[in-house]
Amino acid sequence: MTGIAVFLLLAGLGAIAWVVARTRALGMQTAARASGRRGAMHSLPGHHGWYVALWTLVPAILFLTIWANVSPSLVTQSVLSSPAAASLPADSFSRATILSEARAIATGAQAGGFNAGSQLLVEPYRQATQRYGMGGAALALLLAFAGGAYAFTHVRPDFRARTRVERLVMSILLGASLLAIVTTVGIVASLLWESFRFFSMVNPIDFLFGTKWSPQSAALGYGNDDAFGAVPLFWGTIFIGAIIAMIVAIPLGLMSAIYLTQYARPTVRKWMKPLLEVLAGVPTVVYGYFAALTIAPALRDFAVAIGIHGASSESALAAGLVMGVMIIPFVSSMADDSITAVPQAMRDGSLALGATTSETIRRVLIPAALPGVVGGVLLAVSRAIGETMIVVMAAGLAANLTLNPFASVTTVTTQIVQLLTGDQEFDSAKTLAAFALGLVLFIVTLLLNIVALRVVKKYREAYE
Amino acid sequence: MSAPTLPKRLPTDWKSDVMRRRIARRYASERRFKLLGLAAVALSAAFLAFLLFTMLGNGIKGFTRTEIALKIDFPASPLLLDPAAITDQALANANLPMVTDMVGVKVLGKDADKLLSPTAWITVSNAIKADPAILGKTVTIDVPASTGLDLAAKSDGAPEFESAYDRLDRQGIVHTGFNIDFLTASDGTDPTQVGIWGALKGSLLTMVITLLLSFPIGVATALYLEEYARKNWLTDIIEVSINNLAAVPSIIFGLLGLSIFLSFLHLPRSAAIVGGLTLALMTMPVIVIAGRNAVKAVPPSIRDAALGIGASPVQVVFHHVLPLALPGILTGTIIGMARALGETAPLLMIGMRAFIATPPGGFTDPATVLPVQIFLWSDEVSRGFVEKTSAAIIVLLIFLLTMNGFAIYLRNKFEKRW
Repeated sequence: MTGIAVFLLLAGLGAIAWVVARTRALGMQTAARASGRRGAMHSLPGHHGWYVALWTLVPAILFLTIWANVSPSLVTQSVLSSPAAASLPADSFSRATILSEARAIATGAQAGGFNAGSQLLVEPYRQATQRYGMGGAALALLLAFAGGAYAFTHVRPDFRARTRVERLVMSILLGASLLAIVTTVGIVASLLWESFRFFSMVNPIDFLFGTKWSPQSAALGYGNDDAFGAVPLFWGTIFIGAIIAMIVAIPLGLMSAIYLTQYARPTVRKWMKPLLEVLAGVPTVVYGYFAALTIAPALRDFAVAIGIHGASSESALAAGLVMGVMIIPFVSSMADDSITAVPQAMRDGSLALGATTSETIRRVLIPAALPGVVGGVLLAVSRAIGETMIVVMAAGLAANLTLNPFASVTTVTTQIVQLLTGDQEFDSAKTLAAFALGLVLFIVTLLLNIVALRVVKKYREAYE
Repeated sequence: MSAPTLPKRLPTDWKSDVMRRRIARRYASERRFKLLGLAAVALSAAFLAFLLFTMLGNGIKGFTRTEIALKIDFPASPLLLDPAAITDQALANANLPMVTDMVGVKVLGKDADKLLSPTAWITVSNAIKADPAILGKTVTIDVPASTGLDLAAKSDGAPEFESAYDRLDRQGIVHTGFNIDFLTASDGTDPTQVGIWGALKGSLLTMVITLLLSFPIGVATALYLEEYARKNWLTDIIEVSINNLAAVPSIIFGLLGLSIFLSFLHLPRSAAIVGGLTLALMTMPVIVIAGRNAVKAVPPSIRDAALGIGASPVQVVFHHVLPLALPGILTGTIIGMARALGETAPLLMIGMRAFIATPPGGFTDPATVLPVQIFLWSDEVSRGFVEKTSAAIIVLLIFLLTMNGFAIYLRNKFEKRW
């Protein structure tokens, strides 16, 4: 392939440029030292080498990148102006079909064409592609030589090659950092844009406060009114993530942290802490499968046995319990941090007054560590409501507004997955609703995180 | 003026009954509290053990398969296949399914179609492809048994299959052995023929993209923020963005991938490259945060010493700080990659849940990944998929635990206290 050949050639040129420039700078350095001027060279020979190599490579590669994007349309232009293109039909759609078929045959992606006209265009296509490919490669090599030669004239003892090279390194580092901003902007922009389109079809008030969720009926043409009330989803999310999961995770996580920091021997602590962290490392799809396969049927049988109506094999309780177990390490490590951050003097003071260890923990350590623990719980909640696979596999799809933990409820994340998988037209209210739900989820988790970090930070300052 | 008179107070009599009872009560409560803590730790650990044992118990059977030794007399069979021209095309068009069924009925009796896997003929076809000479003789080929018989062999099948298994077992033509297909085949419709190789390869390709993108960018960002960034509004925005990205639910990254990479940039759907890009955006903040902590832990005296003998700021970082911080950065990277390897939700958004029966050949081919394969199999109604799902989970957990274990080893080996 010519592309790979050009790149190899360029890499070779860059290496040669590095060696030549470095050798020349090395010569200058030796000469300067021989004549007794030790500080005459500003930069190391290696820096001069890099300077010239970068001038050889960077402009050529930039040019090739632009060329790769521009040349396909140039090739098409030249094919259209060739005599064989005169026989093309006038309407643009069939013209484009024949052109793309000819391109596929010319590049070898396709063996033969369905349209008669395409075979005629293959040869012009092949020639044009080759012409522009060779032209681009030649121009790139020319640029590489020109850049290298220009930079080579700069190899002088007083030239600050190091400063120039380091400036490029710094701008690469800055560019990498800016990518985080670009990603954030990308998330916010895509969510906002699609949600805006959704809200032009569905009233935001109906979406946020409506209590009937049936996007299927909207897709079947019964209209968008009343079909996108998201309150049952919000309730399901809160019920599973913020209530049931937390009832499991807060006591277990907090008590584990207390035991491991205050009572356990160092060896026990050393082994048990990573072991608990394994719980956070198990993939969520495994938890989901476990909840659906083992926990949910057991809970349903239990509910039926004690005579609860409406028990379903996909229940809020099954998803919430398993999610709570997954969250234990988050709560426990945050509680661990904030308990160890309480000054030793407070603990010693309480013990010296005659309080037992448990009294010290309950009356002194926990109140002092409370803001940190609350922050940790908020982070855990934000984690739980954004969790997807467990609820997709174990919580079900029925948008019920119920308090019965054995009934099936659905959550925001479940519905996002449900709306966006399978065959879809991208512009229907049904698929766009997923982005509106995503926007709500994004905003809520963001707010929870901001509040949690503020609480934790404020508390840390109080003891430092 | 008279001094206020304090009520006279006797020293506490610790030997009195009241005080003894009180102390006993306080000590009992102390023991209860301690036991409660122990119980919490034990309960969490027990749940982990329960989870792992359930998966192991279900999954270990997924690595084995029951096979029936089928004696096929090719010259006598009505097989329409030219021994001189064995091609994939010819094998696919030949009446092998019919012949296999006939031989099955002859060997196993009338209910052969219930005992043989519906895809048993593929095994026969592969045997012919491997050695066309067998068409001229009578050979015994081990073909997979049906799911029902497979379950009966592993001792929890339906009564009819249990009796059929006993009958075949007495004839000595059925055996259960390690299922190599599970490691080398891809997704399929029949649980006796499916494998994880396609999903594993998809995961591998996706992880390559993720690592190649997120590691350099993450390290560069960490170095910039920790070593060079001035305290200004731009730095503040970068820091806020990274902290936010680390907290955003993974499914939001899936939405981003769907609307930017697929709808806007028109990258191929279900491809490893889109999955890798999406997961790279998700993993990058993890690497940045771990990297910053590792860079921060390098003592300033090392920077001062390097600057003092004339190194430039870039030389200080790349010659001294980065090599010293590298073990910490690598630990964070491995943990981030392990998280990306187990991630399912964002990949569902970008269409990696399609049924794909051939392993992907490159980064732009339709692919699926191991966690998504587990999700897809968990949705299957056929009972045979239960053990396959658990077996795939075992493979995934082995990968994740190995990666995490390696990260911990790396941390312990190279961790320095300055």
